[in-house]
Parts: sequence; C-alpha cells; structure tokens
Amino acid sequence: MIVAVVLVGIGWIAISQEPVTAIEPGSDLTEAPIPGYLAPNFVLYTTLGEEVTMDDYLGRPVVLNFWATWCPPCRAEVPHFQEASVKYNGKATIVGIDQGEPSSVVTDFANSFALSYPLLLDQDNSVNRQYGVTALPTTVFVDAQGVVREVYTGIINGAVLQDRIENLLNEG
Amino acid sequence: MFPTISLGPLVLPSAGIIYILGAWVVLSVIERAAKALDLDAEHTYGLAAISLVAGFAGARLVFVVLHWPAYQENLTSIIWPLTSGYEVWGGLFFALVAAFFYGRARRLPFAATLDALTPGFLAGFIVVSLADFAAGPGYGTETNVFWALDIFGINRHAVQIYEIIIALIAFIVWWQALKRRQFEGQLFLLAMATYAAGRLFVDAYRANSPLTAGGYHFVQIISLVILLICLIVLARMVTRGEQDGDQAKEQPQS
Repeated sequence: MIVAVVLVGIGWIAISQEPVTAIEPGSDLTEAPIPGYLAPNFVLYTTLGEEVTMDDYLGRPVVLNFWATWCPPCRAEVPHFQEASVKYNGKATIVGIDQGEPSSVVTDFANSFALSYPLLLDQDNSVNRQYGVTALPTTVFVDAQGVVREVYTGIINGAVLQDRIENLLNEG
Repeated sequence: MFPTISLGPLVLPSAGIIYILGAWVVLSVIERAAKALDLDAEHTYGLAAISLVAGFAGARLVFVVLHWPAYQENLTSIIWPLTSGYEVWGGLFFALVAAFFYGRARRLPFAATLDALTPGFLAGFIVVSLADFAAGPGYGTETNVFWALDIFGINRHAVQIYEIIIALIAFIVWWQALKRRQFEGQLFLLAMATYAAGRLFVDAYRANSPLTAGGYHFVQIISLVILLICLIVLARMVTRGEQDGDQAKEQPQS
C-alpha cells in the first residue's frame, strides 16, 4: 500500500508541475492584480501634486510598493526600495503607493528617510482595493509590457527585491 | 473577497479578525476533544493556550528583533496585533518550546495529548484557509467548473474551500476512529494522513503555490512526506499491537 501511495503521490506531483518558463499573459488580457494579467491602470497624484497613471510607467519594469508610514514592516523595507531606485535608475521604476495618508505626513516621512522615488497618494484607498491589497506592505512586480509578474505580500529584503528586478530586466 | 470589515469608522482586516476568533474556536475544540478522550481537559487546554500565546508573541518578537530599526521610533506598534510582521518559524519554535515544558511539567501523555490536539490542528487549518479565502491573497487555477469563483473576471478553482472540505473530512475520520482507537496517537496519525493526502491532491489547483526550482509544488512534496510518515508509523503500531496480542494469547498456554 505504501509503495502505491508513493507512486500515485509522485505521479500526481509530476502532473501538477508548473512550467518554469516565464509567465505567459492570460488568455485574454484582462486587468487583474494577478500574475499573467495586465496591471490595473490608475490615476493618482504624487506628493508634489503631479497626476500620474500606471500607463505612464510602461515600457520598463515597474515595482509598485503599497505601504503606509505607520506600518513598521513598510518602514523596514523602504531603504531597500530607495537603494533599488538608485541602482536601477533609468532601467526600472520604483513607485510607492501610500495608503490613505495626508500628503504632509508622506512628505515628512520621505524627507526623513531621504526617499527620491515617486510616492503616490491613494487617499481614498481605491487603488489599494483595485490591486486587492489586504496587508501592508504588498509589492507588485510588473513587466515592461504591463503584465503583473508577481504579488509579494509582507516585508521584502533587498536581495529578493533586486533579484526580481534583475529577472524582469533579463526577460525584457 | 472580503479583505476588510467595516464597523462604522473602524476598518479592520478580516484575516486578523478570523485569526483571533479562530484561536478561540481551536482552544474550545481541543478542550472538548480532551474530555472525549478522558484526558485532563484543563491541562490539555492550558498546553494549547500557552503554545498559542507563545507562538503568537514569539513570532512578533523574532520579527521585531530582526527589524528593530523599523520599531524603535514607534514602540506601540510592537504590540498592535493587526498589522503584518510575524516570523512564522520563530513562532513555531516558541510554541513548541512552550508546549514541551508545559507538557513535561504537567506530565501529559505525549501520544494521547496529540490525539486530543488533532481537532485543534484541523480547526487551525480551517481558520488559515478561511482567512486566505476572505482576505484573498490565495487563488486557484483557471477552470470552467460550475462551482468556480469569479475573481477579477476570471473563473478559478475555489482552492481554499477545497482545503476546508479536506480538514472537515479529516475531522470526520478522527471522530469515527474515536471509539475504535487501538493505541494512543492513532487518531492523530489517521487525521493527519487524511489531511496530507487531501492537500497533496488539491494543491495542484492552487495557482500561487510556492514552487521548487523545478516547478514542483512545495506543499505537495511536504504533504507526501507527512502522509508516508503517518502511514509507516500507523502500520508499525498496528503490527506491534497484533504481536502484543499474540504474545498475550500465548502466555496463558505456557
């Protein structure tokens, strides 16, 4: 019986194997915050009052980091995003999307952490809902064609962040 | 699905609420199971409660230590439970250490206590799947079956619901085996084997399952290993029981 379980188990695991190649876009390019689908478009304002859309960033990989100043894990990972924004300047775009806080709070935080990448204000949380953000921080990796490649929930370290960006750059 | 619950001006994360309510359900189920097995219900409940608290606090403590710069200017956030920031392995370590010392101090029988804790484990699995379903970070593969869930306009397997059904089946197995138990630990092994077999099957329908380098589902591999361990130990215990029975029959004759 145990031999049968081993054979059936290994067989089922083999059948369930996922392709290790790059994620292909879905059958229809619906907008959804799910790997393989188009990253939902949005219109938000930066802390400087400039209007920005998701489409503005297409053409190079985009990393959307959903965060808030009151969220300790977000504060822990912010230096990694700053470092990556400098390292990949001109090759990939790092964007922070703040969850429902006033511009002054976000600006003060950005100044104290010397952040230079764009910080967008999602004051009514509509983009957080659009991207199905259920916990902070959440990081969404989008390729140059605007297809979501990975949704990473929880704190991300610098090595993982740079690894994901490198993968997107190598595929592009 | 329902990532947040609004109570007037207060918006609470549904997963956090489910986990808090789930902890109460887990403890209640364990207490009832201990009574059904004629174990010391008070101390079995105490073991589970202390392990839960130690695991919860330990998971946050390890995370805070690893990310101290993020907390040092905002110390109250250390104790606010509804934000992310838990180190799972740290929590597991603290929970096991607490369970070990409590069980030893109270002289709880290891295998029989595992039998009593099993419904609590299953309830815990249900809570995790329910939180995953409500908060929405997990999702199934695409399908056209009539019970598919519409997630962002795409029909997908309701994989968290499958997981909950498996835990319920494992609980039925535990319940059915309760009155026919041959040896201590049997209920735990039977229920865990059932749950592992089920997860081995349904994880194929999870679209965002962690994968090994070769693209194999990590959860399936772990499930197969647990299933085999449970079956091998069960087989050995049954064989040993039969041998003991045979020896008992032979002794009066000699």
